[in-house]
Amino acid sequence: MEAAPVANLEVVLKEAMSIEGAIGVALVDFTSGMTLATAGGSAELDLTVAAAGNTDVIRAKLRTIEMLKLPDGIEDILITLDTQYHLIRPLHSRAGDGLFLYLALNKGRANLALARHRLRLVEESLEL
Amino acid sequence: MIDNRGAAVEPLPRRERSARFDGPPASAHRESLAGPDTDHAVRTQLAGLRHALPGVRGCVVAGVDGLLISHDLTGDPEPHDLAALAATTFGLGRQAGLALRHGPFRESTVHSHRGYFAVYAVSETVLLAVLGDDGLNVARLHLEARPLANRLADLLHVRTA
Repeated sequence: MEAAPVANLEVVLKEAMSIEGAIGVALVDFTSGMTLATAGGSAELDLTVAAAGNTDVIRAKLRTIEMLKLPDGIEDILITLDTQYHLIRPLHSRAGDGLFLYLALNKGRANLALARHRLRLVEESLEL
Repeated sequence: MIDNRGAAVEPLPRRERSARFDGPPASAHRESLAGPDTDHAVRTQLAGLRHALPGVRGCVVAGVDGLLISHDLTGDPEPHDLAALAATTFGLGRQAGLALRHGPFRESTVHSHRGYFAVYAVSETVLLAVLGDDGLNVARLHLEARPLANRLADLLHVRTA
């Protein structure tokens, strides 16, 4: 039998937390900025605040692409901080329309290329 | 007024300022009671939210009795109407909280097809209502409106809800 969607969400986000260097991960609705699910996070990284703030990032980029009249979509957005990587990955499935995955990584411990690849696999395994 | 189905709509009833509510909100500063400095400070806070968040059209601060205390709306809709709607939303939220034994009202968000109307408790007697477009980042609104309600409680010298 197929697992309930919520269980799948938790399992998939837990899997994203197993990516080397992961600090926190969230599935976010960028039409409202609301968080659907989170895993990890810390006192220094409030994932609901990060989700609401990064909603503005993804909206700004989508608006820019529209203004540039580029017939293209976002695969992912990488933000490099002094000590962290933040990866933003919009969901490409029809059911995931309007949602994105947000992954914060410890820069010293993470392998960026591998993390990006693993996040793509996480996105593909997400059933909504 | 004509609604989008072409039927005539009665304008919202409006209470006169003279018909004052004699109940508890003695501590709530009315427009006439709040000094010009306080009112200016409140309006600055409200404008701050509007500038910080795209999609926010304006705010009103109102008593739980539906009378307007302050606002930063320009043009439509009429701030007195929004103050009354804030009190109505509060009333429904308070009843739900009482019936479910969830305690005093904290906030209520109405998401309609073309916009948001969010009401936050500033104190037991004062409300903050925010009007937003449908594209509003409502998660960010919640994050920013709660501390704003606390700052308004300080400015208006009312007890925080």
